[in-house]
This record gives sequence, C-alpha cells and structure tokens, in this order.
Amino acid sequence: MTEALVVMVHGSPRPVANKEMLRVVEELRSRPEATARFPIIEVGYMECNEPDIPTAIDQSILKGAKMVTAVPYFLHTGTHVCDDLPGLLEMARVRHPSVIFKMGDYLGLSPRLTDILEQRAQQKG
Amino acid sequence: MNALILFSHGSLLCGSVEAVEAHAARLRDRREFDFVGVGFLNYSQPSFAETVHEAVALGATRILILPYFLIPGFFVSKSLPEVLTPIQAQFPNVDFQVAEALGFDTRLADALWESALSARTADNDQWSEPLKRATLSCRPSPDCPLYQTPLCPKVPGEKKLHD
Repeated sequence: MTEALVVMVHGSPRPVANKEMLRVVEELRSRPEATARFPIIEVGYMECNEPDIPTAIDQSILKGAKMVTAVPYFLHTGTHVCDDLPGLLEMARVRHPSVIFKMGDYLGLSPRLTDILEQRAQQKG
Repeated sequence: MNALILFSHGSLLCGSVEAVEAHAARLRDRREFDFVGVGFLNYSQPSFAETVHEAVALGATRILILPYFLIPGFFVSKSLPEVLTPIQAQFPNVDFQVAEALGFDTRLADALWESALSARTADNDQWSEPLKRATLSCRPSPDCPLYQTPLCPKVPGEKKLHD
C-alpha cells in the first residue's frame, strides 16, 4: 500500500519564512528509510502559500497514496492543531472514503526539540 | 546566577502551553541553568516581563532568552526587542542575551519522521487527542475557545467550539 506523508504548515505572507521548514522536509526526503516508507512526501499550507493542505492531500492521492499520514509542523497546541487541521482531515476523509488518514503529534511535542533548544542555549553560553 | 527564559508566543487556548512547559521541565532537569522559566508574548501566563521579574527576584545576574519559535521572524526580530528594551532599562545590572530560534536542524527531520511513524499505527481518531489534552492546562479564561463548551473543565457549558 502506497503511503504519503503530508507535512501541514502554517504558511506565511513572507514565503522566505518557509525556507528552513522546506530544508527540513528536503532532509527527510534525502533519507532512504523515509522515502521507502513514504514514497510521497508533500507540504501543504494552512494559509498564505500554495499548495493548501487539501490540495497537498489530493495530490498525494493522485500520485497513488492509499494512506495519508499528516504531521503538523507546529510548536503549540493552538486552535490550528486542535481544530482546524483535524477538520481538514475529516473533510479529506469524506472526499476520499477509501483512503486511510492518520494525524501525527505536532512537532513541538517531540523531545528532540528540547535537545535543539539546549544546543541553541549552549551556542550563546 | 544564570537564568534561562523560553520566550514563547502564547495562545488564547489555555492548553497551548503544554509543549513549551514540557521543554522547560526537561531543561530544568538537566541543571545547566539555576532557573528555567517560560515567558509569553501574548495571551498566556506568565508574561515575559513577569518571568524576568521572577528570575531577577531569585537573584539572576545573567538571563539567556531562548526563543521558542521556528524562525527568527517578526515576533523574534521585532516584538522581542520591544518588550525587552524597557526591561533592560529596569535591570541595568543584569546581562541579557538572546539565543537563536530553532531554524534548521536535522533533528527536526527526526521529529517529523518519528511523529509520522508512530501515527501510522495509531488509532484513527488520534487527531482529537490534542484537544482533550489542551484542557489539562485550563484556567477560567473567557477568551479561550473552549470556555463554556462541554470540554472546559473550569467553566463547562453548552457553547460550541465554533460559536
């Protein structure tokens, strides 16, 4: 079963603000174990930038995904993570009843970020 | 005394503090700083100024401000200096430093990967979990989107989330 990973991003009126996130996604795409599991890796934006999240989901399904795992590239449990993004996935489920949808923890919950924060502090120490 | 303050945006949703508080707790456990606190720019408590006051009252002579932001965008480059400048004037003997935002790091790709892997095998309705957990940090704030909805543990009611 072909699987897709859709990275759900807030988006910004200044597209340059997405540069670091896109590098992170490129880093993931460069890892063979990641592309073996998720041959399709798409980015979808909630606001401001293209493609929006429904389009990114639909594109991944057009490319053959039978299962879509969506991960919020967000730092907080805001209303986007709690409400808007699950709403977009519910709607995608209605559009594509034969596709399995999963939503991962948002990025901010990962202890990996604690390690990065610690390093940012040490770099200034 | 060395203090570390995580500078975070804040949200109307009470539960938004969950992640940044967890990072602060882990950094506190690592004991590299005598004080580790969180200060919010908007909405959430405590405010950034309140956390600085707390650190200084405890004897902080050096305060490292660590932006809990993905990029050094508007809030880090414009809003932070705006709140920091009057505080620096108030405490001229304290050495304030500002660290870099998260930016790019291969460990962010690790975090994405790990989240995706564990979601693949999770229950279908895992996406309602953040909303349930958000109520754990609840305070009775009329501005919170969950206030007076059935989910609010402090002031529950019949309101709908989208009203």
